[in-house]
Amino acid sequence: MKKCKFESWIDEYLLDRLDETQKEAFEEHYFNCLPCFEKMEGRSEMLAVVRAKGSEIFRDESAPAKTRLAWLEPVLAFLSPRQWAVAAVSAALITVLAIGIIPSLKKDIPQFFINDDLVRGSSIILISPVINNLNQIPSEFRWQSLGENTEYRLFIFFEEELLWNTTTKANFVTLPDEIKSQMVSGKKYSWQVKAFSPEGTLIAVSSRVQFNFDVSK
Amino acid sequence: MEIDIDAIVAKYRPVVSFRVKRSIGVQTPDWEDIVNEIMINVVEKLKKGEFRGDSSIGTFIYTITSRRIIDFIRKKSKVLKHAPEPDPYVSPQEHIENRERARWIAESIEKLKPKYKEVLYLYYYKELSREEVAKKLKISPRRVSERVNYAQKLLKKIMKE
Repeated sequence: MKKCKFESWIDEYLLDRLDETQKEAFEEHYFNCLPCFEKMEGRSEMLAVVRAKGSEIFRDESAPAKTRLAWLEPVLAFLSPRQWAVAAVSAALITVLAIGIIPSLKKDIPQFFINDDLVRGSSIILISPVINNLNQIPSEFRWQSLGENTEYRLFIFFEEELLWNTTTKANFVTLPDEIKSQMVSGKKYSWQVKAFSPEGTLIAVSSRVQFNFDVSK
Repeated sequence: MEIDIDAIVAKYRPVVSFRVKRSIGVQTPDWEDIVNEIMINVVEKLKKGEFRGDSSIGTFIYTITSRRIIDFIRKKSKVLKHAPEPDPYVSPQEHIENRERARWIAESIEKLKPKYKEVLYLYYYKELSREEVAKKLKISPRRVSERVNYAQKLLKKIMKE
C-alpha cells in the first residue's frame, strides 16, 4: 500500500509539534484520508496510555543499570574476576589520588530519579499550589525558573490520568477557565512540570504535587 | 449528485468526534452534544443541496466542524468570568475513556520486545524528538518511525488475540 505523505505528521500532530497552519492542514487532511485517521486514532490511544501509565509500563527502562547490561557483558568477559578485582583496586587508588590532587573544576550534571523518571539536570522546585485543601481552584501554577531559553510543560492530572498539559517559556501558567470548569471540588488532582532545552531535550522534572480544593469553605 | 447521507454520517461521526474531543477536551460534558449538532447540521446542509462538490465532502464537513468548535470556545470564554488572556484555545488533551481498555493496552505495551518498548519510552514518554531517539539508540530516524509503526501493529495484534 502506498504511504500517504501526511503520515509522518501524525505523531507531530499528537505531540503538539505542528504550527497552527500545519495543524489546520493536517486536520483537514484526516477528514479526507481514512487510513491516516484510523492510524492516528490508534496512535492517540497508545500515546494517551503511555502518558498516563508510563511510570508503571517503563519501570525497567527508567532503571539505567538494566539497559547497560547488553554491552556490559562482553566487557566483563574481557578479564577474569581476579584481574577485575586488581583493576578495580588500582582504579580506586588512582581515583582517590586524582581527587586529592586535582581540584574539581567542573560540576557534574546531576542525575536522579523522580517518579521513575531519570532526570538529567536539576530538579524543578514547585512554588504554588503546594498545599492541600485549597478553598478555590488554583488559578495559577508557579515554579522556580531555570533561566532563559527553557521551555516548560505543565501537566495536570486528575487522579492518575492526564487532565491537561500546556507548554510555556514563563515559570507560571494561568489555568484556562475551560479547564477550571472541568475540575470538581473535593477530588484529587496533582501537577508536575518538566523542563526542556531549546533542542527539546528533557532537562529537569519536578516532583508530582497533589492538591484538592473545597469551594464550600 | 447522488449522496448517501447515512453512509456519510457513519463514516464521519468518528472523525468529527475525534476532532471535537481533541479541541475541547473529553472532560467537557458537552462534547457529545456538539458532535450531534455538527452531524445534524451536516445532514441538513446535504439535504438542502448546499454541498455542491466544490470541495471534497471531507473538507465540507471539516469546515462545519471547525466553525462549530470555534463558536463553542468563544461562547464559553464569554460566559466564564476572568477569561484567560489571548490563548483561550485549549491545548489538546488526552483522556482515556475506558479504564479497562487502558489497562489492557498498558499490559500489551509491557509485553513488547525491548527494542519497541524503548522507542515508545523515549519517543512518547520522554517526548524526545525522532532525531534524538535515533541518536540515543544509534539507529536512523527512519528506523525510529518504523519501530513505532511496528509497535502499533503488534499492539493491535496482541489486543485482537
